[in-house]
Amino acid sequence: MEATAEVHDLEAWLKEGYPQSVRTAYLILGNRLDAEDAVQEAFLRAWKFRDSLSMESSFKPWLYRVVVNTCNSKLRQEIPHRDRRSGEEQLRTISTSEDVSSRVGLSSDMMRALADLPDHLRIAVVLRYYADLSEREIAIAIDRKTGTVKSRLNEARRRLAMHPALQAEASKDSPTNEEAIG
Amino acid sequence: MTLIDETTLREALHEAAADFEVSREATDRILNEASGADARERARRVPSFVRQRSGGRTALIAAALVLVVGAMSLPLMRDEGRSAKNSNAQHRAASGQTVQGSGFSGNTTKSGSATSLSAATAEKTAVTVTGAQAVATSSHSLKIESSGTVGLTVSNGSVQTSLAKLGSLAKEDGGFVVSTEAVASTQKSANYSNGTIVLQVPQRLFATLVTQVQHVGRSTSINVQSSDVTSQYVDLQARITALDASRRQYLSIMTRATTIGDILAVQAQLNSLQSQIEQLQGQMNLLDNETTYGSLTVRLTEAGHLTSAKHSSGLAKAWRDSIEGFVAGFEWLIRITGPMLFVALLLGALYGVTKFIRRAIRRRRI
Repeated sequence: MEATAEVHDLEAWLKEGYPQSVRTAYLILGNRLDAEDAVQEAFLRAWKFRDSLSMESSFKPWLYRVVVNTCNSKLRQEIPHRDRRSGEEQLRTISTSEDVSSRVGLSSDMMRALADLPDHLRIAVVLRYYADLSEREIAIAIDRKTGTVKSRLNEARRRLAMHPALQAEASKDSPTNEEAIG
Repeated sequence: MTLIDETTLREALHEAAADFEVSREATDRILNEASGADARERARRVPSFVRQRSGGRTALIAAALVLVVGAMSLPLMRDEGRSAKNSNAQHRAASGQTVQGSGFSGNTTKSGSATSLSAATAEKTAVTVTGAQAVATSSHSLKIESSGTVGLTVSNGSVQTSLAKLGSLAKEDGGFVVSTEAVASTQKSANYSNGTIVLQVPQRLFATLVTQVQHVGRSTSINVQSSDVTSQYVDLQARITALDASRRQYLSIMTRATTIGDILAVQAQLNSLQSQIEQLQGQMNLLDNETTYGSLTVRLTEAGHLTSAKHSSGLAKAWRDSIEGFVAGFEWLIRITGPMLFVALLLGALYGVTKFIRRAIRRRRI
């Protein structure tokens, strides 16, 4: 009876947190299969050590801490290039279809720019601008000081602003002089 | 510094993430896995509870600390015991000499018992010095430092001749006179009433000189000290060898240095090493000199100017002993400060490592 109740709790957890967690992991790892693996592992770990949740201040950063840790483990495992390519190929396949061309183009550029960021900067930027964690929550999730988070976010934004893929996108969006005159 | 706009970044990330379609199968897999893991966890729960609640880890850490502290303090306590024993033995030996001296005084001279007492002590000490010298000469590796003072009473008007005789004794033994001083009793007097001569002779003949000197006059007091400085000497030698090896390595590095910065850095290291070597070499030379020659100061007094040596009463002795005890206690306190500091550092490091490991384990668990 108790076990059923617990599984129901886990179902609630999954319903609430899984989609965003797996997408966060996808942005961090750049690969669909690895993201699913990592989040599955993270949820199982979190579930196993749910007792320690009482000691933590809040559920969200705690869960993301577990997710980030498993993502870090995956990143340390030196994911084979085949896996990374598979993610890019997926994006390229989607980007060739005409109905979603412009949106997916930006996604592809963003994924490329993210992939070029160092892991620690990518994690910070994804947690802040995708998972919507506050700087304090990110600090808890990555076990660093808030100041470190701030500086990482700044550095990540600076690098992204200078990334050629995103600069091209920005210039494409902005009207050229000729278009403006015409 | 240009930063990417936060809103643009947020939108781009959400769009990039929106490409990822969440599959229902993945959540089902997690649910199945979790229910299986829970069953396994429940089967393991009892032993893990025992493990967590036993408090054995704390007891183990406490036992380890006690062992560390015990292991550190035991050699100290032994040293203390040994030094206390030695000092007691020395004290007993000194008392024994005094008793023997008193006995001896009854059989000899007309002069005061104090003189006879010191004479007996002098003979006893001379024998001890000869023994120490034998050890020193038996092994070339031993470095013994010896010095002493002998008080002599000579007949009236013979201070000057005695000084000359003492000088010639030192020269016969291959030594030399370091200094001579003679003082007249009154300004009008032509004779010297007392004098002091400092002699240095090769270490192996120091004990012989002490014996010979006592034949020049009547020995009133004698104080000879010998100390083994072999360990200091060996330590200095080892340090010099190590520094010299480093210096040679730096010299070889110097030949490969190409930039001015490298050359200057290596040169600075070489200068520092050279100065350390010279400093240690100086200390070793000093030890060499001190162990090559033994220094003996002889104080001559005319018989009429003899001053009796002061006896220390029981109270004075007790007072002196109490001061010595106080100093010894203070020395002990200073001596244990180092090991205590080491233990404190060790405990701090252990605490840090334990905390780090526990934190790492906790982090790995989640």
